[in-house]
This record gives sequence, C-alpha cells and structure tokens, in this order.
Amino acid sequence: MLLLCFPARRHTAGPASQPPGTDAVLAKRDTQGFIIPSTVKPHKLPRHTDYDSGATEVTRREFIKDGSVAILALASTPLAGTGNAADTNAPVSGTDSATDYKGQSPPVSLGLIGCGPWGRELLKTASVLPNAPVVAVCDTYPAALKRAATLAPEAKQYENYRDLLADPKVEGVIVATPSHLHRDIVLDAIKAGKHVYCEAPLAADIDDARAIAKAAKESIKVNFQAGLQNRADRQVLNLATFIRTGVLGRPIKARQQYHKKQSWRAAAPTPERQKEVNWRLDHAISPGLVGEIGIHQIDLANWFFMLRPTAITGFGSLRQWRDGRTVPDNVVAILEYPGGLFLTYEATLGNSFDAELNLFFGSDCAIMLRDRRAWMFQEIDAPQLGWEINAIKEKFYKATGVVLAAGYSKAMPNQTAKPTEVPQDPKSPLQYALEAFVINSYNHQAAIRDFTSAYDPSDTNALKEYLDEIAKTRVPAPGWAEGYEATVTALKANQAIAGNQRITIEPAVFELG
Amino acid sequence: MTRTTRNLNPNPRFPVGTLTTAAKRLVLWLAAVVVAWSSDSFAAETLRYVSKPGGAKVTIEGTSTVHDWITEGKIIGGAFEVEPSFRTDLTLKTVQSVQGKAPPPNLEVFIPVTSLKSTVLAGREKMDEVMREAMRAAENPRITYKLTSMTVKDPVPESGSPAKFSTKGQLQVAGVTNTIEMDVTMERLDGDRLKFSGTKALKMTDFKIAPPAPRLAMGLIKTGDEVTIRFEWIVGLSTAP
Repeated sequence: MLLLCFPARRHTAGPASQPPGTDAVLAKRDTQGFIIPSTVKPHKLPRHTDYDSGATEVTRREFIKDGSVAILALASTPLAGTGNAADTNAPVSGTDSATDYKGQSPPVSLGLIGCGPWGRELLKTASVLPNAPVVAVCDTYPAALKRAATLAPEAKQYENYRDLLADPKVEGVIVATPSHLHRDIVLDAIKAGKHVYCEAPLAADIDDARAIAKAAKESIKVNFQAGLQNRADRQVLNLATFIRTGVLGRPIKARQQYHKKQSWRAAAPTPERQKEVNWRLDHAISPGLVGEIGIHQIDLANWFFMLRPTAITGFGSLRQWRDGRTVPDNVVAILEYPGGLFLTYEATLGNSFDAELNLFFGSDCAIMLRDRRAWMFQEIDAPQLGWEINAIKEKFYKATGVVLAAGYSKAMPNQTAKPTEVPQDPKSPLQYALEAFVINSYNHQAAIRDFTSAYDPSDTNALKEYLDEIAKTRVPAPGWAEGYEATVTALKANQAIAGNQRITIEPAVFELG
Repeated sequence: MTRTTRNLNPNPRFPVGTLTTAAKRLVLWLAAVVVAWSSDSFAAETLRYVSKPGGAKVTIEGTSTVHDWITEGKIIGGAFEVEPSFRTDLTLKTVQSVQGKAPPPNLEVFIPVTSLKSTVLAGREKMDEVMREAMRAAENPRITYKLTSMTVKDPVPESGSPAKFSTKGQLQVAGVTNTIEMDVTMERLDGDRLKFSGTKALKMTDFKIAPPAPRLAMGLIKTGDEVTIRFEWIVGLSTAP
C-alpha cells in the first residue's frame, strides 16, 4: 500500500510538519520542504519499484492516472470513517446517483459444526457479514448448541453433523470442532459437496491433515479454506507483499512469541464434560501451544520467507499450571530453514509481558508485527526506499520504527497526523477470512454452474481448466496447501517440544503423495 | 380379429402389376416430388454446432471519469443450426440460409453474467458487484442473443476462412431486448469447429442501465454510457441429434 501509494502522495503531500518526538536524524528538509534524515544517500534510487520496467517516457497525466488505478485497486476496502482525503476531494454533484459498494458476493448459506467459544466467535463474525447467513448449527453438547442458537436464532439445530451435511440449504460449513475431530467431518462435508472452512490446525496428526488436504485438492466442486486468518487479513497481506519486495535485505532470522497468563482450562459442570472440553490439555490428542496458537505465527514465517523448515528443536515444561495436565505451558522451539535461517518460537501461559510478537530480521532492516500493526527498523547502512522519509514513525526505547499499515498513507494527506490517529482497520482478521471464504465459495459454485450450463458437463478436464483460471481471481485466502504446510510445521514443532529433542523433517512430509 | 382371406394383396381392386405405363410414370413422378419436398422442408440433416470450452472469450470495455475498465468472461453457451451444405461448400455460395434465400440459421447464445469478471488487479469483487447490480443479474442471470438474419457480406475465399457476415439479432441485457446489427467474422478451425467473432458498440442506457457511479475509496467515479463488446465464440459439430 505504502509503496504503491507513494507516487500519488508525492503530489499531494504538502510541506511536512515534524511529528513530535522525532529525533535529530529527521532534522533536515529538502528544497521542497520534505524532511530528509541525515542518513539519506544522495542519488540513490529505490531498489524495488514498480516503475523500473516498461516505458521510460510517462507523461504526468498518465502517471497520475496510473497512480489512481493503483490506489483504486489497493484501497478498495476503505477504512470507514477515516475522513480520508480522497472522499473529501470527490466532486460534489447533486445529480450523481452515487452508490456505495461493499465488494460482496451474493450470499452463501453456512452451517457451523462445533459451537464452542471459537465456533461462536466465528458465528458472531459471520453475522456481521451481509452475505453469510448461518442456517444451521451443530454440536454434540446441548448447552453449546443453545448458546449458539442465541446468536443465530434462525439457524436449524443439529446434534449430529451428518444431519447438518444432509441439509440441502447448507452450501458451506465451518468446522470448529476440537482439532482431533476434524477429519471425518471435513471428509464427509467434501463428499457432500459443501464448501469447507476448516479451522487450523487442519488436524491433530499429520496423516489426518494429509487426508483432508488430499480430499480438498481432488474435489472439483468444493472451495476449501484453512482457518489461517492472517493469510486473509489485509494488514498482513500488505506486509507480506512488502517483505516480498526484498526490503529485509538478506533474511537473517525471525523471533516470535506468545505470552499470556491464563490457564487454558475451561470449566464444565461434569467430570466427563471437563475432560471433553479440555482436550487441549491432554497430550494424547492436543497439538499443544505451538499447534493450537503458534501455528498462526509460524505460518507467517513460512509464508514471508517462502521456505519450509528442515529441522526443529523443541523444549517444553510445565511451570505454572500443575493441575494434572499433560501438555507443557512453557515451550520453546527453534526451527531451522534452508541456508541457516532460524526462527525461534516461544510461548508461555505463565507470563503476559510483551504479549504476542513477531520479529523478522534482515541485513537491511527488522520488521516487527504485533496486533496487526507493523514497524520497520532500518539499519543505518540500508538502502533508502524513498517514501519512508515522509512516513510516520514511532519510538521504541532507543529505536525508531517506520509505521507500515495498509490504508495508512491514504488517511494522512499531510504529515500532521500523529501515530495515535492511525486508523484501526475496522475489519478483524476473522472477518477478512470469512468474507474471502464466502466470496470464493460463491464464485466457485457460480463458475461451475456457468460452465456446465454452456458446455458438456461431463467434460471434467475442461471444467478443471476453467476452475483453475477462475482460481487466479480468488480473494486472497489460504487453501488446502497452505493449511497442510502450516499444520505439518506446527505438529512437527509440537513433536519436538513434547520429546525435548531435535527432529529433522523430510521434505516429502510436506507433499501429499 | 382373425384374418379369413388368403388373398395377400392389400387392395384387390387394383391388383399389383396391372398399372398402365402412364400410371406408373405418374406414380414415380409423384414419389420423386414427395421425396424432394420432404428432404427440403424437414431438413432432416440439419447440422448442429454447439459451444465448445476453451477459446471462448467475451470482453466488455468501458470508460469512466478515472480510467478505462474491462470486464472479461470465458463462457458463451448456445448452438448454431444450419443446412448441411454449410459444412461442405466452403465459399457458402449454395448455402441458402446465409444468402438471403431461405430463413437464417438458428443461432442462440447466452453469457452468464456471473462469468464476467473485472480485470482490475485488486478490488475485483467490488467491480464485479457493480456490474452484477447494473445488469440486474439476480433477475436476469444471462445475456442472451438470438439471430434474426445472417447474410454473407464479402465473397468468401476458397479456404472458407474468413467468412464475413452482416447479422441482425435480438440482444437481451438486464432483461431489456434490443435489435442490433453487427458484422461477424467466421473462421473454420480443425475438428469441424467454427470460430465466430465480432465487436459491437452499445449504450448502457439502451438497456435501461444507468451508468454506475460507484463511490470508491478514492472518491466518486462515473462510468461512461458507451461500452464495446467483443466476443470470440467457438462451436463444434455436435454428434448428438
């Protein structure tokens, strides 16, 4: 966003007023009034721009036009209520019948299988969407079903997921049961021709995850999405694109943590239900802290670096919650990637300091991602990108971070905005994920319907070709491949932690075979 | 009922083999007329070409206050029915239906509105939503076209490609039907396939579509009334009746 918005901003940005708290590095200004840090090397061009290739002669008019397209394209999900410059500059005409579009597809009716706390979170998120009616809910535990029913009173209630799958009104299902129960449900759902949103990890063991991924891959009719919501989050997607430009320089290492003081134990009225609801605390079926929570973070490293780990060393201990559980509450894993790139992952349920944190270190800068916000900390000898001169910065102890946020520069036509005014993305990652699921499911089923209405429906090869073509226009969302890779990584990490050992990972385990 | 007679002659009044030569001639002549008439009128061997996947393309190009836009689809369904000489007479000189000497071939096609996709890099969903709403896709899920006249425009080369036609037909968009005239080019492809292509400038307002004015992140944009439709449609000879 920042990168692509930059050319347009340059024309609109007025003389910058210095944000409070900027240090001496930001003291100088160029002739146009732009602040320049003393570290700027003259005549050094940005290394990665979209303008490097193609015609060298660009008229100003074309330039602005193209810049607008880039903004239009990337800012298509506007931050609501930010009062951004573009809106206020829009031509005012009483005759224009302007229409607001949300970029939504026609509805896809959903069924929720598994109405625990996370399932109900998904239910709440779906109820925010205009095109995701939840028409059926299913849980084996009556109290959970009842709670879900208060959130979705219209939804039909099922105790057996097979009955839900037999409901013709249900077009897609969200599977939010305990991880070790995913397999049969997802396989049956795919068989029933329902689109599947399967929570991460895909399963509690690799064989089950592979079976799920394979079925999803081989199915023509079904759109499958893994519950790795970060991969659909606009904020993280923008960061991924930014990191892919090579801004890190040579990637050196990554460090991630999840610190939270909480028991991870849920209360239940009977001993049986207690055991059932606390499946995460039983080492026989639980993917552990790294499998249930770490998967979302470790997946980011795989994704940003475009690499798969070759070995994992793990340590786990029970430091805080000695309540009979057999799953560590204090874990460390070191993931080795090809070329000596390391990722250290730490999670604990005993202390909450610094909460959740993702750090990616490269020879040119470090990038920190936390709470969906990101900052870039440049090395003094790093090549200047250009736009960061004008970007908003925040201080972290002795370091200064350049704020990276989608829709951020757009919200600040000049440099007067303070970091506290950075608009929060009104959509949660989960909302982006479910939105993508509904839109992609709709487009998938519409593509099948359109194709088979025009051509011989028995020509499955041609249909597959067409669906592959349509898949290129998918709203970014993790499919079976991403889900499987993340699941394998997380489960291998958990295996290393459980055994306090180093295990090597054969590349073949990432293949479906 | 039981047959009581052994006479196998169905009509004893006109015993077989007793016709005069003149009568025989008359019967033969009548028979010839009947055969000729029936084969011509019932056209039992009408060729039917049906849509084949791969290679179909439809684009709608338009303008706006910001930038030009393109919507693209890869599905055109339908069939083309024509007399057998269409396949063998590559110059089409003896093909009555495209020479204005007989009713035109049967040609009906449709394009599912949901198969049309915006080509913007990102924010495609919003653009597709704009288009679906403009075309009232919920009530009118298809763009349809029915041919009403088709005549060869220029002499067709011996190879049969390209053949150029002047056509007229009924185009229905968003539930509103208009008669449009359009030049259509046909190429013969291998495997008894035909590729029809053409271009037509249209106005949204002719189909009672108000040019969309979506409010987007960058502000209000307004689309132009004029759009250009281009299509490439591939059909193959159907083996089924």
